This record gives sequence, structure tokens and C-alpha cells, in this order.
Amino acid sequence: MNSAPTISTQGLTRRFGDLVAVDGVNLRVAPGQFFGFLGPNGAGKSTTIKMLTGLLAPSSGAIEILGLDLNTDPVNVKRQIGVVPEGMALFGRLTGAEFLSFAGRMYGLDRETAAKRASELLDFMQLADQPKKLVTDYSHGMQKKLAMAAAVIHGPKVLFLDEPFEGVDAIAAGTLKSMLQGMITRGATIFLTSHVLEIVERLCSHVAIIHQGRLVAQGSLEELRAGVEAQTPAATGNNAQASGEKMTLEQIFLHIVGGERRTEQELSWLG
Amino acid sequence: MILNVYRRGQLTAIANLRWRMFVNGLRTKRGKMELVSRIVVAIVFAFGGLGGAAGMGFGAYYFVADNRPEQLAIILWPVFFFWQLFPLMATAFTNNPDSSELLRFPLDYRSYFVIRLAYGFFDPATVLGSVWLVAILLGIGVARPLLFPWALLVLVTFGLFNLTLMQTIFAWTERWLAQRRTREILGVLFILLMLSFQLIGPMTERFRKKPPPELKRTVEIFTQVQGALPPGLAADAIARASKAEYSLGFTSLLFLGTLTMAVGYLLHVRLRMQFRGENLSESVARPAASTEQGLQVGWDLPGFSQSVAAVFEKEMRYLARSGPMLLTLIMPIFMLLIFRLGPANPMRQSSFFTRAPDMAFPAAAAYALLVLTNLVYNSFGGDAGGIQFFYASPVHFRQIVLGKNLTHGAILAANTALAWIAVTYFYGAPTPAISIATLDGLLFAAPLNFTAGNLLSIHSPRKRDFSAFGRQNVSQTTVLASLGVQIVIVGVGAAAFVIARFYKNLWIAALVFLVLSAISAPLYVMVLRRLDGIAIERRETMIAELCRA
Repeated sequence: MNSAPTISTQGLTRRFGDLVAVDGVNLRVAPGQFFGFLGPNGAGKSTTIKMLTGLLAPSSGAIEILGLDLNTDPVNVKRQIGVVPEGMALFGRLTGAEFLSFAGRMYGLDRETAAKRASELLDFMQLADQPKKLVTDYSHGMQKKLAMAAAVIHGPKVLFLDEPFEGVDAIAAGTLKSMLQGMITRGATIFLTSHVLEIVERLCSHVAIIHQGRLVAQGSLEELRAGVEAQTPAATGNNAQASGEKMTLEQIFLHIVGGERRTEQELSWLG
Repeated sequence: MILNVYRRGQLTAIANLRWRMFVNGLRTKRGKMELVSRIVVAIVFAFGGLGGAAGMGFGAYYFVADNRPEQLAIILWPVFFFWQLFPLMATAFTNNPDSSELLRFPLDYRSYFVIRLAYGFFDPATVLGSVWLVAILLGIGVARPLLFPWALLVLVTFGLFNLTLMQTIFAWTERWLAQRRTREILGVLFILLMLSFQLIGPMTERFRKKPPPELKRTVEIFTQVQGALPPGLAADAIARASKAEYSLGFTSLLFLGTLTMAVGYLLHVRLRMQFRGENLSESVARPAASTEQGLQVGWDLPGFSQSVAAVFEKEMRYLARSGPMLLTLIMPIFMLLIFRLGPANPMRQSSFFTRAPDMAFPAAAAYALLVLTNLVYNSFGGDAGGIQFFYASPVHFRQIVLGKNLTHGAILAANTALAWIAVTYFYGAPTPAISIATLDGLLFAAPLNFTAGNLLSIHSPRKRDFSAFGRQNVSQTTVLASLGVQIVIVGVGAAAFVIARFYKNLWIAALVFLVLSAISAPLYVMVLRRLDGIAIERRETMIAELCRA
């Protein structure tokens, strides 16, 4: 972690009235990392990613992306990042090709390049066979793929993805994953939030966990695993550790956020 | 018995759900304001309703007491039109929640049908229509007490017909609104209907010009046709009974009842499809072979950046795909047509434009600007979730707004040119002085409107549904501010033209507007430059409002 971080925050805080949604978060994401940002519902994940992408103003704290201050130089930062926000940010009354071409030009591509990349991306995402269909008529999964295509059309150095695989079928998810892996191989940095811990475990090299607005863990998967295992003696009943297996990300996550699983025996009337 | 208890429990739960939704809505400031507005609207409705009821009750009494009961149709037709058209034209006042959401619960079909009809009972149109029918019944009862029971039966049937028809129209409208293409066709038909209402006045004037025999024949045909329709049938059923022609009266009631059943059947067909879980997905079958399409290169806008040109292209494409919005934009031409048709009656004084044809072009141009306010004062309304894209993209907000304003300007220019051609056709070519004065006026008024519109679009955005007809979700702040700007512009414009006409030199107006445009244009540029900061300050409100589901 000697190189300058691609994404760094210092004391990032966001209040909504009396509620502190994000509380003094200090993040460091190194270049080329596939970074998973996890947390239970309402922990502050989406609020953080919105602040990192300029969609929400922090109450206090600083954000640097690629060494640029997001607050003072937002346009230069945005030029180098791609975003798939929670609501996907699509324009429903354009066709897929029109939307991608529009997105490319908004990110500074010339008309010809934008059109060419739009066509390539539609092919890649398997969205090219219905060229006249408006985005509003796309299925949820198709919209997700289109949002992803729009986020990468300008070849961003950093990609922010809020729940990118939600509602995407297995085939499309495979396509997206291979595209993202390819981007990482070529040196891009990806910051991803997801509730599907298996996906994060498979894709991400580094993880941060936010809980009740505070960053409670950050590091590589191995570092997190080692930290949890050090705090959890085998005798206390950690099954994975006792059997010599590696702890899964789910087990690490539950250990860190203190999640308590309710058993269905509590609802005895359920069939 | 168990099933009845079960059904009663469900109906009670749904009534409770509606009540909780209402109470929970009051937790927010907006909800409280909404309640206050509803109370004000209810008071206005109560006055209108009771006034109407008094008039209709007296009318019914008069027709029956005067032994002209067949003319009850004259009051039953307005009840019918109000009951059916008001919910469509004033959707903001209607109460028609989506009952299909209840289908996830184990409701039986009969409960579902009853709930759907029950929702209709609480609609203001039903409440007012029912009050009016009660007043008509009382009027008949006072005039001829013995007729009261029969009139009660007929008017209840007529009320049921109206309630069922209203729900049938809504149910089928919902179905057509569920798909984009049918939604847009419906939107266009709705606007055409509105436009055709505008023509009623001028056409009536023309109609009156017909020679008496032809007019009499037309009235006879109309009377016969209306007699076979529900209000005419209801009036006929009462009239026949009052003349002791019971079998004929019963036949009319039977027809009315049959029509009610037929409409009820149409409602049943629709609700049954909903109940069975229809699929209104708009996915089309994939083509057998991949459709090869050449590269679609975006539009170029010489003198402007890629981003401004991209926004301009996007806005134009949005407009081109909104039939209702496009039709609104031809309103200035339509207005000229209405004015042209209006003065056709030689008995009437000629219209203002016939007396002052030089004012037709300025008026049409001003109207062209006025119809644009819908777009200009809520320019992000159609973007919905796309607003996040704007905020995430590396483009200054002023460039996005400039792209939108260029679209508005292009539409205004096209509309003004069309208005010039229409004025030339209807009233003769405008003089160079009036043409230049009008264009100067637009150079003053358009930047002023764009400036105010840009600020309000960021301060009070409201998500707009391009394809929805009827009332949109409109910010009252925007409405008031835009009204203020229009009053200033119209006042200044009228003053300039009055002075110019007083001195019989319209070049004075051209000069005044040119000077004023030298103020409004820099004001526009100054505010545009500040929009980046304002937009950043307002980003949370904008995103929250426009991304609202």
C-alpha cells in the first residue's frame, strides 16, 4: 500500500438531521484493486458511494479520487470515473444506442468514437438485437447492463458500482464479471457494493465493512480473515476454524457486524 | 358463513389500509399541505355541488310541474357528462387507487369487483353526481309526489350506470396506460378531445347560421339519438310514467338497465383479466437474425460543445417521442384557427384580430412562448432518474441547461415561423414593422422566461410523465412564479404596443423590445453562469424529487 491511493477519504461524514448515516469514514483503495464495500441494510453503503461520485454532498470530511479533490475539482474527477448508481441513471425515452452515444459524448468522446463504442458495447452486452427499443421498455436486467455499458464507454480509470448484479441473470452476470475482471487486468480500480457476499468473495481482492455508519474493517480478504480468526479462538465454537477450513466472507461479515441469525424455530406456526 | 366472515375481514383490512395511508401521509409537511388543499377543494366542491343541486332540483321541479317531464334530459345530460368527464380531465381531484395491487392477497373475484366499485363511490364525481340526482329526485317528488318511487328507481339505475361506466372507463384506460404505445395514442386522443372542445364555440356560431328548416331537422335528429342514450332513456322512463304510459316507461328503464349490465360486463371482462394475472409486458419477440444497423452518429451543433449538442439531441428525441407534448406545441396555430372561425357569424361583432389584424402575429408568438412554459419551467421533469447521470457526468450544469434552452429556443423559432405563415394565411402578411417588433419582443421575453425557468427547474423540480394525460404533478411555487413572469411580460408587451399604436408607428415597439432584450439577454447569461453552484447546492433535492418512484 505504498502507492498513492486511487480513492481516499478522510473523516467522511454525512448527517441527515439527527441521523449520522456515515460517521468519519477513512477509506483507502489502492490502484488496480477490486474493492468490495459491504454492510448490512441501512449501514451507509449507498450514502458513501453517492458521496464518492458527487451525487451527495458530505457534511464534513474530504474525498480524493486519483489524487484530485472531489470538492474542488469535480469535473476532472468525474471525467475519469464511471458510475452505476442505485437508480441506474438512465434516460428512458432514448434507444440503447442513442443513450450510449449520448453518454459517450457527455464524457468527452467525439461523435464517431461515441457511436462506434456504443455499437461495440451493445454487441458485447447482447443488447444489439432490438435497436429500436426504448430504454424504458427494457427489462430490469437489460437496464442494468445498459447502465454498466454507459459507465464504461469512456474507459474510466475508476468504476463505482452500486449493486451491479441485482436483477441480472446468470449469463449476463458472467459477461459483466468477465468485463470487470478485464478492466482490473488493464489497471482500472473498481469499487463495488453488493449484498451478495459470494460474488464479492469471488471478485474482490480487498473489502471494507461499514456498520451503523462507521467503518469497522478494511483490508484484503486474507487480512480480514486473519484478524477475525485471531479474535475467535477455535474453542469458542467457530466451526470453520475448528475443521481447518478457511472462513468464508459471510462468516467474517457476520462476525464483524455481530449479526445474529434467527432460526425458523422461533416461528413455530410456519408450515 | 365462514367465507363471509373471511371476506368481511378482508374488506375491513382494506378500508383500514386506506385510512392508515391517509393518516401516515399527514406526517410530512407536504401531506399536511395536501390535506389543507383538499379541505379547500372540498369546500369549493361543496359550494359548487350544492349550487348545482339547487339548480337541478328546481329545474326538475319546473319541468315536471310544467308537464314537460321529457325535458328532464336537459339536466340529466350535464350530470352524465360531469360524472364521466370530470375524473378524466381533473385527475388531481380524483380518487382512483390502483386496486390491482391487492391481487397479491387471497381475494376472491367477487370481493375484488366490489372493492373496485367501492373505490368509485368515494370519487368526487360520484359524490357530486349522486347529490345532483338526489336533488333532481326531490324536485320531481315535490312536483308530483306519486312519481317519486318510480323516479327513485329510474335515477338509482341511472346512477348505477354512471358509476359502472366511470369505473369501466378507468379500468380500460388503466389497461391502455400500462403500455407505452397505447398510452401515447390515448394521450393524443385526449388532447384532440380537448382541442375539439375549443371548437365548440366557433362551430356553434356557424351552426346558428344554418337556415331554420335545416336547423330544425338537425335538432330533431339529435333529440331522437339522445333519447336512445342513458340520460335520454332515464328522462323518457320518468316522462312516460308521468303520462301513465307505464309499459313504455318500463321499456325505457329496461333499456337503461340493459345498458348498465352491458357496461358492467365490460368492467367484468377487464377486472377478470386483471384478476387472472394478465401480462402487459412490452417485450417483443427477438428477431430471428440480428438486425444490422449502421453506426448512429450523434448530431452536430456548430459552435457548441459535444455535451451541449448531445443534450440538444437528447431533448429533441424526447420531444419527438412525446405525442401529447408535440400536439401542445401546435396550439398557437390552433388558437389562430379558432379566432378565424369565431367571427364567421355576421350577427356578431368581428373579433379583435379582424379589427386589429396587425396584433395577430404578436399574439400568436406570445402564445407560442406561453405553451413552452410547461417545458421551460420544469426542464428536468422528463429526465427522472437520468438526473443522476447529469450529476455524475463531467459536464458543467450550465452546459446541460444551455442544451435544453437551445431546444426550447429552436421550438419557439419553429412555432413562430409557423405562426407567421398561419397569420399570413388567415389575416394577411404582417408588416415588416410588426414582424420585427414581435421578434424583438421574443428576444426580450424568451431569455427572461428561460432565466426564471432555469432557476425554478432547479429549485422546484417535479417528475413529469411525458405520456400521461390530465394533470401533471406541478409545483405550486413554479406556477405562481411563472404566472408573475408572464404578467410582467404581457404587461410590458401590451404597453409597448399600445404606445406604438397610439403614435401610429410600430417601429417604436420594436425599439422598446430591442432595448429590453439588451437587459434580459445579459441577465440570462449571468444567471446561466451561476447555475453550476446552484445546481450543486440543490442536487439532493433534485435527485430525491426526480428519482421518486
